[in-house]
Amino acid sequence: MNKLILTILILTAGFVSNAQYAGYNPVADLAKFKTAFAAATQKTTSIKSDFTQEKNLSLLSEKIVSKGNFWFKKDSRVRMEYTTPFKYLMILNKDKVYVKDGAKETKVSTKSNKMFQQINKIMIDCMQGTMLDNTDFKTRVFENKSAALIELTPVTKGMKELFKSINVVVDKKDYAVLSIEMLEISGDNTIMRFTNKELNASIPDNLFDIK
Amino acid sequence: MILSSALFFILGCSPVHKQMQPSTADITLLQKFKPAFAVALYNTTVDVAGNHLSGLLLIKKMPDSSTRMVFSNEMGFSFFDFEFAADGSFKVYSIIKKMNKKSVIKTLRHNFELILMNNLDNSKAIIKTDSGQLYFIFPQNKGYNYYITNSDGTELVRMERASDKKIIVEAIMQNYINGIPDTIGISHKTFEFNIGLKRIER
Repeated sequence: MNKLILTILILTAGFVSNAQYAGYNPVADLAKFKTAFAAATQKTTSIKSDFTQEKNLSLLSEKIVSKGNFWFKKDSRVRMEYTTPFKYLMILNKDKVYVKDGAKETKVSTKSNKMFQQINKIMIDCMQGTMLDNTDFKTRVFENKSAALIELTPVTKGMKELFKSINVVVDKKDYAVLSIEMLEISGDNTIMRFTNKELNASIPDNLFDIK
Repeated sequence: MILSSALFFILGCSPVHKQMQPSTADITLLQKFKPAFAVALYNTTVDVAGNHLSGLLLIKKMPDSSTRMVFSNEMGFSFFDFEFAADGSFKVYSIIKKMNKKSVIKTLRHNFELILMNNLDNSKAIIKTDSGQLYFIFPQNKGYNYYITNSDGTELVRMERASDKKIIVEAIMQNYINGIPDTIGISHKTFEFNIGLKRIER
């Protein structure tokens, strides 16, 4: 009897470790998904959106919620402006990063700062739909009727030290990003949800200026 | 070394603060400045050796009376998660590889212990006065923690961590609201390392 229970437990554990995501099934035809995804993101030249970010500190039973505005414009330009409960501005423009926290302004080249380089690449990949080609990650794709979940598991040493995985959920209607969830090694996670999206809205270039 | 340090204090001639005189002020005056962190979030800036970084520091008092400190960047990525236990012990739950150095962890631990004001042993405290200010001095394993107030002990002017010879760190806690300081500053005197905390209302 005990052996039976043990066998069931081991089998169950096996299922859990290969767990899929509740409400999602593996994408049946990955090649077809990739083609549709690439075609849709090809058509997206800009994204304007609001976002809500929630950091969950599991062991502390605490959440840190922040909100702001988001702009993306091809090629490789992102502006993220946190407005509440703190002010923080980050502009990614090609290989340059501008950060304003309080009155302090910092300009960094992603070539010299690995962390910003990785943030830059993940963010741009998510918006341009090129995350499936990012060799820093192993990817698995799941879907339901309305959305697809792209699970990015780090394979490179640098990324493995930072993240357990990054899950990107895209709307199957237009393949625009609905949320980006970053799961840390510690068990904490941060999820950024995008709302009030406008695709291909007119966004002035100077929003991404780094002077 | 211990003897010479003790003698310095007995004679009122701390090498760091040479003009201090004994005071009969009440040690309990200091108690009200101990931050009553239930849970507090701070906008945080760190300037170290020409580098600047910012983020959020969450401080939370846990049910077991320990205090947890989690520092993350604005996008949510955690740099470190420390525990300051009620019995004075310290635990690192997580820290990024770049910061995972004994000297960095030790420095941060001592900095935060200075402001948390946990485990201050009143029986070992020495109270002195100088230039209209009260000095509440707590000998540590190495060096001393100083809490410096105005003459009647109603305002915390600054805190210091010092060795026998010099001040190593100066810190301030200001604008207490419901027992929690709105502004905290930590400034190292021997190399460029400054931490600034400004409380965020949530």
